Amino acid sequence: MRRRDFLKIAAVGGAAVTIDGCGDHATQLIHFIPEETLIPGLAVWRPGVCNQCSAGCGLQVKVMQGDAEVVRNGQSGLIKMGLAKKLEGNPQHPVNHGKLCARGQAGLQVTYNPDRIQQPLKRTGERGAGQFARIGWDEAIENLVTHLSPLASEHPPQSLAFLTRPLMGQRRTLVERFLSGFNGAQMVSFEPFDDSVLREANRLSFGHSQLPTFDLARSNYVVCFGADFLGTWNSPVAHNVGYGAMRQGRPGNRGKFVQVECRMSQTGANADEWIPAQLGTEGHLALAFAHVIVNEHLVKAESAGTAGSRIDGWSKGLPDYSPDAVARKTGVAAEIITRLAREMVTAGSGVAIVGGAPLAQTNGLFTALAVNALNELLGGVGRPGGVCFSPGLPLDESKRRPANAAEPRLISVRTFAEQVLSAREPDTIKVLLVNGANPVFAAPTGWRVREALDKVPFIVSFGNFLDETSNLADLILPDHSYLESWMDDVPESGTVDAVLSIAPPAMLSLHETRALPDVLLDVSRHLGGEASKALPWKSYEEMLQATFTPLRHSVGSIAADTDEEFWGKLKQQGGWWSSNRVGPPKSSPPVASFAPVKSEDPTWDGAATEYPFQFLPYVSQQFLDGTHANLSWLQELPEVLSTAIWSSWVEINPQTAARLAIGQGDLVEVSSQHGRVRAPAVLSPGIAPDVLAMPAGQGHEEYGRYATGRGANPVHVLAPQMATATGSLAWASTRVKVARVGSGDLILFSGGPTEFRAEKLSR
Amino acid sequence: MAHQWGMVIDLDRCTGCEACVVACHAENNIATVSPEEAARGRTMHWIHVERHWEGEYPNVRARFRPVLCQQCGAAPCEPVCPTYASYHTAEGLNAQVYNRCIGTRYCANACPYTVRVFNWFSPEWDKPLHLQLNPDVSVREGGVMEKCTFCSQRITAAEIHAQAENRELRDGDVTPACVQSCPAGAMVFGDLSDPTSQVSRLARLARGSKLLEELGTLPAITYLERE
Repeated sequence: MRRRDFLKIAAVGGAAVTIDGCGDHATQLIHFIPEETLIPGLAVWRPGVCNQCSAGCGLQVKVMQGDAEVVRNGQSGLIKMGLAKKLEGNPQHPVNHGKLCARGQAGLQVTYNPDRIQQPLKRTGERGAGQFARIGWDEAIENLVTHLSPLASEHPPQSLAFLTRPLMGQRRTLVERFLSGFNGAQMVSFEPFDDSVLREANRLSFGHSQLPTFDLARSNYVVCFGADFLGTWNSPVAHNVGYGAMRQGRPGNRGKFVQVECRMSQTGANADEWIPAQLGTEGHLALAFAHVIVNEHLVKAESAGTAGSRIDGWSKGLPDYSPDAVARKTGVAAEIITRLAREMVTAGSGVAIVGGAPLAQTNGLFTALAVNALNELLGGVGRPGGVCFSPGLPLDESKRRPANAAEPRLISVRTFAEQVLSAREPDTIKVLLVNGANPVFAAPTGWRVREALDKVPFIVSFGNFLDETSNLADLILPDHSYLESWMDDVPESGTVDAVLSIAPPAMLSLHETRALPDVLLDVSRHLGGEASKALPWKSYEEMLQATFTPLRHSVGSIAADTDEEFWGKLKQQGGWWSSNRVGPPKSSPPVASFAPVKSEDPTWDGAATEYPFQFLPYVSQQFLDGTHANLSWLQELPEVLSTAIWSSWVEINPQTAARLAIGQGDLVEVSSQHGRVRAPAVLSPGIAPDVLAMPAGQGHEEYGRYATGRGANPVHVLAPQMATATGSLAWASTRVKVARVGSGDLILFSGGPTEFRAEKLSR
Repeated sequence: MAHQWGMVIDLDRCTGCEACVVACHAENNIATVSPEEAARGRTMHWIHVERHWEGEYPNVRARFRPVLCQQCGAAPCEPVCPTYASYHTAEGLNAQVYNRCIGTRYCANACPYTVRVFNWFSPEWDKPLHLQLNPDVSVREGGVMEKCTFCSQRITAAEIHAQAENRELRDGDVTPACVQSCPAGAMVFGDLSDPTSQVSRLARLARGSKLLEELGTLPAITYLERE
């Protein structure tokens, strides 16, 4: 078909269909007209907000004119449009300073992924069979409204739930407001490797229930307990920027870095001293450092303030944590403990970091509070070279929710599944909305999420892709990609400034998808009543403008005389940030009624006699929790320590492997009391002899052509054990056994000189 | 005087995050080859991060080293090419003329750094992944050798830009994709013929050394050792 014919048909098709919201005919026609502002061959750079993890980095998107095959109103054709060609960091952005990580760089492949859902789908076969029929947006919205309107009018409690990965920025506000129209609607948040233990500990120690920000660039000494902060944890790009400056940014002053962990991570590989300690005893080690510091009168115990008071025995000099006692528990020699403790103090401006596996134990809160107390003792909290908490935006938070609206109940996926499975008709969930969360893949089998979803009468997914969870949906309303959407975020950490990242769509949508916020606005208009009163905006753009324009009156990166001018500049610059650096954290009212934590050992699932190994799943450098396993650039990116590509594997200490007659690349079976998983072995000198480690993210049963059927999912082995304080999954508390079962299909990167060649599989 | 492009990679800053690797794929239209071909050693990375283990548990260390074409001053890949597809530019680059290449692979054989990669097949992109292709960089066909160019398209673009503004290129005008993305600031690019450029100043540091310099290849990349 010629383009001219296509345009005619498209225009006619557009007129025949009536869609509210973004569907007015003029807008639809514009989608088919080449963008006048683009000159062929010349790139324009547009702002963006990275959505590949929750760090909220600012983007610059290189957009050039190109020919794209698109489908509009059932007609396919070729149009000229602006296409994103490369992603870079926004140099002005206070979190990532113009830089981007490997996963951020691969973000183009989300938008251009061949397995994207291109238009609304309705289930036709059995649930889970993967049979869907394409439908139009009118029918899709009507279908959803039909299912939601009885819930909005009759008000049966708790019949609607919204299962989501953590929502960025105003999306969260919008969804909360949407749910406020339904009696007792629940927000079910799911993040496989979440940081809720650390947030809780930070609330108790410092009065901030959020992830910490580190001033690494000005640190002289960094001691980190288990967090992969240069690879995958918290705000990795911000950490890398600071780390580079800490090492070589100050002539004559190179900061020292000590990493405590039982399996060498990408982060640990950079340490000056790598200290393997027994998993789950990191809190004891932190308190042993504190013991030495206090008892050698290097720093007074009282200077640790509230954070210190959370630890039982702090004011008495921590008598239970002498280096000798803790050495027996942790496996770290007493001399090392004493030496490192002295070093931390004499170096000045030191900082302690904790995250990842140490907090994914049953005693995670103890560990986090112990490290927080050490941090305060080192004088690093709120000081240069230490730790602080990013301030929120200077906006009136009371306007977040409409008056009288209760906050929707936030529950975990585990609680949700329990509720559904134990509920009697009719007080059960009627409709489940799913946004970007994939608990069927990433939650332990013991939580019975799949069974629970089977009992939900109607499931709606807003996913871009068919995955293990959205495959169970009855209706799929595909979202835009993040380059096609209005994006906004207020980064939780990674900067000392108050930061808003915000950007208009960098390109038009490739497929017949619609942005989730606009779909919810549309649905609420159809529903009327309470639901629509809470959401008075015509579009998400209008909501963002109304929310963020008041920032004009605060001192920050944008000076403007009018609201319109401010909004224009905000869109152009990709965000707003306060130019004034924040001081030490505000002193928050201490949380009363909290008994100081006593020494607590981790509880392991499984007897050591039958299951001799501690099992450590870890967040993948390429795929994080598995969200990015469908991007081919990342599948073919060698994991930096194992050099494995297109694979998953089990890391074993070479001596352990020799004892069990396991060779490099052999297929091994790892089993716990709860499940088993098979993957090839990688012999790694950087892992303790009694630990087996495995990256998360592979082993998808349904996630597009690059991920499906590839590798194995370590989650199948995990015990459904919880961190006692917060109820989040203690994902590093399972014991396992291992045996060789055959030859495997490990693929190692084969480029590069000598060493890699020697490692190539002999079989 | 012609520019002499060079790079410094500070191994004390490099954390092995591999942002450079994906940035290079995205900028230079590098194909992914499938697990089967990857298992045969046919991946197309122009830059990779080596990992070297030292010692045994618990006294173990891993060291990272990003390795890309060293743009040698006396490049072993150049004289072996029967069709002059590999040649030396006036600005010190080991260039590869794709449409001269007949795929003898002599150059890859001669390269001690194994940074030349061969297209065993013409690359394919599952639609619409072809839309990610960068129009500023040509796509290579099957039977052709390819390699890092120091992002010559960015060098050209910066030169045109400077010319349009009627000025000389300034230090920092040219940033290859790997350098631009590097979060820890481990990579610095610039003109080695300008003694005041940042890359020249860093290359003179005592920590500096060249990779396999005993071979006499005169690399344009200086590695600053980890302290």
